Amino acid sequence: MSEASSSVSRLQDAQGYLDRVLRELRVLNSPQKDMLVAVLQYLSDHISATRREIGAMRPSANGQFLSGTTDELEEILTETAKAANRIMDAAETIENVAGTVGGDAAQTLMAAATSIYEASAFQDITGQRITKAVRALQSLEAKLVSLSGAFDSFEEGLEAPGGDQALLNGPQVAASAASQSDIDALFESLGAP
Amino acid sequence: MSLNKNMRVMIVDDYTTMLRILRNLLRQLEIANVDEANDAETAFAAMQRQAPDLIISDWNMVPMTGLDLLRKVRADGKLRHIPFIMVTAESKTENVIAAKQAGVSNYIVKPFNAETLRAKIVSVCPVTA
Repeated sequence: MSEASSSVSRLQDAQGYLDRVLRELRVLNSPQKDMLVAVLQYLSDHISATRREIGAMRPSANGQFLSGTTDELEEILTETAKAANRIMDAAETIENVAGTVGGDAAQTLMAAATSIYEASAFQDITGQRITKAVRALQSLEAKLVSLSGAFDSFEEGLEAPGGDQALLNGPQVAASAASQSDIDALFESLGAP
Repeated sequence: MSLNKNMRVMIVDDYTTMLRILRNLLRQLEIANVDEANDAETAFAAMQRQAPDLIISDWNMVPMTGLDLLRKVRADGKLRHIPFIMVTAESKTENVIAAKQAGVSNYIVKPFNAETLRAKIVSVCPVTA
C-alpha cells in the first residue's frame, strides 16, 4: 500500500471510529453527553469536509497543477539568456572598437565593456533563482498530484536534503547574502585546508 | 603583483553566459589561453588530456557539482596541485568551509567584478620572476 493510500485509509478509519463513538454516545442516558457529542460531531464533519475538498482538487487537462507557472518561469530563463547574449554581443563590439581608437577613448570604451560583462552576470544569478523556484514548484506539483489522487496527507512537506545536497542553496537574498569581503575574511580564518 | 598572462585556464560553468563573461574578462586581463566546459565531467576529461595551470569553476552544476570536481582534481595525482578557484553564488559559511576542506585555493562569490577576479588569480598563481 502506498503512503498516500495509507493516509486515505487512516482518514477513513478515523472518521469511522468517530461516527461509531457518536452512535454509542447518543444512546447513553447521561446529561453530560451533549457537549461531548457536539465536539465529536464537529470533528467528524470537519474530516468529512476535508476529504471532500481534497477529493475535489483536479489537475488541468494535461494532468498538472502548476505547469503553466513553471513553463512561464522557464520562458523567463530563455528570454533573459537571449537578452544577456545580445548585451554581450554589443559589449564585444564596443571592446573591438576600443582596440581601434587608442588613447583615453579606448580606455573609456574598455571600461564600459568590462562593466557590461560584470553586469551580465545577472542572468546567471536570476537563472539560478528561477531554476530553484521551478524545482520547488515541480516538487509541490508532484505532491498535489499525489494528494488529489488519494487524499494524501499534506503535512509531510518537502524533505530536507542532507550531505552535499544541503550545500546547494543557490544565491541568497541580498539582505542576508555574504559579501566578497565577508567570504575573504571567513576564507582566511579557516587557514590551510 | 602581476599576472601570468601565458597560463592555461580551464573555466567550468553550466551557464554559457557565465562562461562568456569569464572568457571576456580573462581576455581583458590578456589571458587568451582558455579552455571551457559546460559541465564538470567534460572539464575533468579535458584536463586529463591537457592539464591547465588554473581551474575556475562554478559550484552549482549537475550531475557533478563544482565541489565534486574539486575533490576529483585533488584526488588525481596529475591534477592535484593545480590552483582551483570556486566562482559561485553559494555564499553560506558552510559552503566556504566545505570548499576549503576539499582544498579550494580561493573563493569568489557571484556577482563579482573584474578586479576581484584578477586579484584572486594573482593570489593563487603568483608570477615567479
